[in-house]
Amino acid sequence: MLTAALVVSDSLGRGFDRGVRAADLPDIIVRFDPAPRGRVARRVAALPDVAGFSLRQEATGVFIESGPHSSGSASVEIVGPGRRGYAIVGGRDLTGRPGQVLIERGLATSWGIPLGGTVELADLGAQRVVGFTQSPDDVSYPLAVPRLYLSRTALQARFGTQLDPRVNVAQIWLRDPRNLDEVLVQARATSYGLHGLRFVTRSGVRVLIDQAAGIVIDLLVALSVIALVSAVVMLAASARAEVQRRLRAIGVRRAVGAPRGHLAAAQGLEALLAAVPAATLGVVAGALATYSPTSRLLTLLNEPPPGTGLVGPLLAVWLAAIAIPVLAAAWPAWRAAGRPAVELLAGAELPRRRARASTWGPRAGLGLLGARLAGARRVRLVTTATALGMSCAFILLMLALASALSALETDPRALGKRYQLTAGLPSSEVAHIRQIPGVQAVAPRYEVRAVDSFSLHETIDVIAYPGDHTVFEAPALLSGTRISSPRQAEVGAGLADALGLVPGSTLAIELPSGTELRLRVSGIVGSFDHDGRVAYVPAAALLAADPSASEVLAIRVRPGADVAAVSAALGPVAAPASGAIARGVPLVDTLRSILRAVAIVDGLVCLYALLQTCALTVQERRRTIAVLQALGAAGPAIARLLAGAVLALVVPAAVLGVLLERLVLGPILAKLAAGYAALSLTAGAPEVGAVLGGLALASAAAVAWVAAQSTRGAVVKGLAA
Amino acid sequence: MRRVTRREALIELTAAGALLAGCGSGAPVTDSGSTVVSTWTDAMGTGNLERSSGEALLARTELGPAREGAAILTTLAHVTDAHVLDASSPARVPFLDRLGEPFQSTFRPQETLTAQVLAGAVRAIRGLRPDAVIQGGDLIDNAQSNELTWALEAIRGGAVRPASGRLGYYGVQLAENPDPFYYRPDLDAPQHLGLLSRAVRRFISPGLPTPVYPVLGDHDILVAGELAPTDVTRGLAVGEHALWELPRGLELPPGLSLTAGGSPDGPPVPVLVDQFLVQALAGPKVRVPADPARRQLSAHEVVAELRAAARLPADSGLLDYAVDVGRSVRLIVVDLARRAGGSGGRVHPGQADWLSAELDNAGKRWVIVVSHHPLVSSEGGEQLLGVLDGHPRVIAAIAGHIHRNEIIPRPSPAGGYWMITTASLIDYPQQARAIRVLETAGGGVALEMWMLDHVFGGDLGQISRELAYLDAQGGRPRRFSGDRLDRNVTLYRAPARG
Amino acid sequence: MPVLQARGVTKTVGSARAARSLLVGVDLDVQAGEVVAVLGRSGSGKSTLLHLLGGLDRPDTGRIIVAGHELTAQRARALARTRLRHVGFVFQSFHLIEELSGAENVLVPARLPGAPRGGEKRGRSLIDGLGLSEIAGRRPHELSGGEQQRLAIARALVNDPELVLADEPTGNLDQENGAIVLSLLRSLGSRAVVIVTHEPEAAAIADRVLHLREGRLHLAPAAGGLRLRETA
Repeated sequence: MLTAALVVSDSLGRGFDRGVRAADLPDIIVRFDPAPRGRVARRVAALPDVAGFSLRQEATGVFIESGPHSSGSASVEIVGPGRRGYAIVGGRDLTGRPGQVLIERGLATSWGIPLGGTVELADLGAQRVVGFTQSPDDVSYPLAVPRLYLSRTALQARFGTQLDPRVNVAQIWLRDPRNLDEVLVQARATSYGLHGLRFVTRSGVRVLIDQAAGIVIDLLVALSVIALVSAVVMLAASARAEVQRRLRAIGVRRAVGAPRGHLAAAQGLEALLAAVPAATLGVVAGALATYSPTSRLLTLLNEPPPGTGLVGPLLAVWLAAIAIPVLAAAWPAWRAAGRPAVELLAGAELPRRRARASTWGPRAGLGLLGARLAGARRVRLVTTATALGMSCAFILLMLALASALSALETDPRALGKRYQLTAGLPSSEVAHIRQIPGVQAVAPRYEVRAVDSFSLHETIDVIAYPGDHTVFEAPALLSGTRISSPRQAEVGAGLADALGLVPGSTLAIELPSGTELRLRVSGIVGSFDHDGRVAYVPAAALLAADPSASEVLAIRVRPGADVAAVSAALGPVAAPASGAIARGVPLVDTLRSILRAVAIVDGLVCLYALLQTCALTVQERRRTIAVLQALGAAGPAIARLLAGAVLALVVPAAVLGVLLERLVLGPILAKLAAGYAALSLTAGAPEVGAVLGGLALASAAAVAWVAAQSTRGAVVKGLAA
Repeated sequence: MRRVTRREALIELTAAGALLAGCGSGAPVTDSGSTVVSTWTDAMGTGNLERSSGEALLARTELGPAREGAAILTTLAHVTDAHVLDASSPARVPFLDRLGEPFQSTFRPQETLTAQVLAGAVRAIRGLRPDAVIQGGDLIDNAQSNELTWALEAIRGGAVRPASGRLGYYGVQLAENPDPFYYRPDLDAPQHLGLLSRAVRRFISPGLPTPVYPVLGDHDILVAGELAPTDVTRGLAVGEHALWELPRGLELPPGLSLTAGGSPDGPPVPVLVDQFLVQALAGPKVRVPADPARRQLSAHEVVAELRAAARLPADSGLLDYAVDVGRSVRLIVVDLARRAGGSGGRVHPGQADWLSAELDNAGKRWVIVVSHHPLVSSEGGEQLLGVLDGHPRVIAAIAGHIHRNEIIPRPSPAGGYWMITTASLIDYPQQARAIRVLETAGGGVALEMWMLDHVFGGDLGQISRELAYLDAQGGRPRRFSGDRLDRNVTLYRAPARG
Repeated sequence: MPVLQARGVTKTVGSARAARSLLVGVDLDVQAGEVVAVLGRSGSGKSTLLHLLGGLDRPDTGRIIVAGHELTAQRARALARTRLRHVGFVFQSFHLIEELSGAENVLVPARLPGAPRGGEKRGRSLIDGLGLSEIAGRRPHELSGGEQQRLAIARALVNDPELVLADEPTGNLDQENGAIVLSLLRSLGSRAVVIVTHEPEAAAIADRVLHLREGRLHLAPAAGGLRLRETA
């Protein structure tokens, strides 16, 4: 579990940083409408703190074809000299010779294009793939459009003066990224005349990428961290239990004069011998179970897998998995050995408390005796029940996560969206569309990707409707009020957090048109879109500041009406409203496989805890069980006894697990992952039922197995124990 | 020994009191500003200036071999292009800045701190204890009466309050201005909260006790250094309507300026200017408090005031004059500013003859010729250079205007001289130049010169320097600090041959 | 018919080279009301024999019949039932369950599934009869060895078994308590009692004393063994 947690959290949590390093991702990426190279170069060179820059031309919507696959929306970047901002993860870089192309690894994987294979580009013909790239400035195909790179030199050789000399992308690397804001302010001040200007910074890229899988990654990382903590608790608990079992032996050795330190060391050594193979096995198994799905996800996100970078942390985990039980064994042994030997010989595990008044009543069965036996080791019961409860809480969390995930993916309502369809039509078509049967409401929806004017590295997704936007989108209002005047905006909690906005604050949006739109924040809303970095603004204000804002029609279908029929009536311009992570099925599939891997590991941990507890109970009660057998108790009776013991453990654990998930883990995880929106991660009845059922099944299996084990051998051996 | 006058003593006392009371400025100034001791550099190229070690004087022997200095003839300072400006003035045209070349001087992020920077330069020069100071022109930015008042107060010493209107700040850098092309210190990085209100607070300048000889620059008499005031601009300056935004659809095609013929130095066509302003004023305007103190001065008024302040003979024509500094050095000041408009220099009729006569009058004195515009780039400048080339006692021609540190030897049959320009106080590196004239063994002459960083108490001076450095249209990318050999050097000149 | 009947019982412990034949052919009949003491040196196989007799372990060969049930033919569950109903065990180290009070310990066999009726009542009268009422509420660790063993005897009797098997019942007790325990075992009326011991005091109460030597039961003591003890 520890390893699984580590692989997932290290791989995903630090994937972006790794990608940035590998690809030499620029600090700032500026996009603009094509402009003369020299003019752009002069302005970029005049910025402070610039370590280097490169200018590119990016063509979008290019038709490409390779084997049976084709796409009409490829993005082709024509790279010139200078730093690249992508990593070559296979083959080599462009040399400037004609006929070469680099493709993104995600595309190569998805289409099965080998190095040396060919890609047909519109106007260019067949190009030979000389290398695979990875650049975390965007997610990879199939989550995003296919991306290819061509050499400017090569194109110049072929097309000469016919080649468009202008550029539309500038990548800027800084010497000291702490000066990012200063540089951005200067860049903005000198950007006049460049149209459609969009700044994207590294942190902005992170937000963009995170949008694809952000919530999920955050959830998994948070989950892994919690799992890590509970794994530690579990390891410590079982090691401690082992020492408790040995108390009498320790007492004997103490009685014959063994030094305290020696005893603790011996106990530690024993734990060490047990822990080394166990830790090795666990580390390898955990890594194998999660590495491959995690790597698949990372490829989709254009982030390199951790590779050998994981060896260090894994080694650390391995050491921790050994050190924790060793310490957990040595420490109680050290403490125990400090107590009088007589006490230890008497089998005392804790300073004796007065016998409780409650007795084993006449009609009480063996089950209750079992429960009493389990209850007698109170510390153990509490620690094991806690560990088990945490495991249960995890599984619950995982299930809740899975259902939240599929809701986010498929159900627009989970995002506060009330429209089901969009249509790429001009607003003049509104009246026409309203005539389509089943359409309840239709309005133009404008969306612009902008940045905060005062913190230029913060991106904002600006969404605007001409009228009441709550007809189409009603993200939960967390504080303040809805928009009531044309100079107001509702902002997502993610944005409010990032910028310190409260109702009444001024929101300043730097639009691609170069205009600063200032609006008063009327309320804060919970939204998942764009990591909560959204602003709902009146369309009039947006269009006045940026008339080129992209427009689609949002269509809300009447309750009960057939969305598919309305979509069909609209024709090919219609598209379903998408969820926060609906960048593609592959992502969700991959995430599911990760969740599955983690859940399986977690389930195994749960079962192990149960078995361990039963086995422990049997082992230290072997004599008691043997006595009972000698007195005439048969297998089923022993099973009943064990069942009692297990129930004494499982029932509080289940209660704890459910409460823990509902009251602590779920809310914490939801806050960690999506503090900007009310993401419900508390398990519902089906999940709780499933987990309790699973727990019961696991308990039954554990009891049956342990009972069979304990009654198989001769009773005398037990008596001698 | 020079005697300290009563008035100077009083000012010193006031300044000290202000420092003790912490009024207007924070930390006491201990720095001399001499870049020989230390200066501000950005060694890592990160955009952050840091204190670095000083630059020692390097020998330049293009005009004569290095010789031991025998005697100091005089010590001077050249401080130029202070561009003290009223950032709240409605007569400013900051929106032209975004068009880039050649309008980048219409707005600067540090423009609210020009008076403070001048006071800081004054303090650094005081430490030098020069015999005379050359104020190299463009003392003010927009030919406004209040600008000239502040600048002269900063030089003379005493309280300066660089504010107009209701004595606040009413310019484009206000946080309320939703125009992202301007740096707004309350919002934009590097954020300096309250900078605008601190910039218009009263402060004390220590003043210069030595004679300060003025040179006339284009900005001293022309609006934005380009336009002779018209009725429209005069009305705008004292009125309550300001233009902050480039009117929509009024984008100027690159290369075209507001001056006729496309030459940035050509005389402006008043009709075109008026048309432009009228058109712009029909668009969105901002209301600011009116202030008669923002009156635009005529060239006559400016020249008269500068002469009066320097106790030069009254004359409202050209600011041409010659003065002797000590017994061995003569300064000849030439006025190349165009009265009708246009930022470039131009030699006025008769100036060549006058210059020649003054040179002859110099006798055995070494001569330093000073103008605002470099002679080489001024219309008719070759004529004056021809005059200088023939005179064996001319050792230097000093100018400003181009905001750049530069030292170029000009050899001539008569021995040659050094053509020197000094950086501005408004753009990075915001430096003045210390000049020491020495007689060398064997009858030659040497000019020891080094740059002076301004030292204004508190952080306003440093903020100005840092903003100037960051400015992507400023002195950093345009390399205004010059090369090492344009700054701290000893310039050797062989003995006179005539 | 005797309560206990063993014929040709053999048992080898360990395996391969370490194999040791403990019992090579034991025959034993114990009648109701008879107390038999089995003596032998440590490691002679006394306890093993007792375990075989009580159905806690299975002999390699031979037959053991208790109260008409042939243990050697029974499967685990039936064997457990036979133990429950027909055999009572008393151990050297008492083997009381720590978590239960004295009385509860006594009642454990009565409450096991398949126990004969009346166990509870019998248990209480046993506690009273053995003078354990005062200590019955206490937990084992609060009791002396003698008290614990008396409780163990009560537990062995609670289901009214025909056969009581005692493995060194006085081994952990002082002389006084040992005497009390032995007299208890002596007074079990119609039950057949087998006591495995190496203490002559235990043998003294027996109707019949057998010696386990070289895997067989003998009537006469070994040449030196007992005498040595007697002189000690």
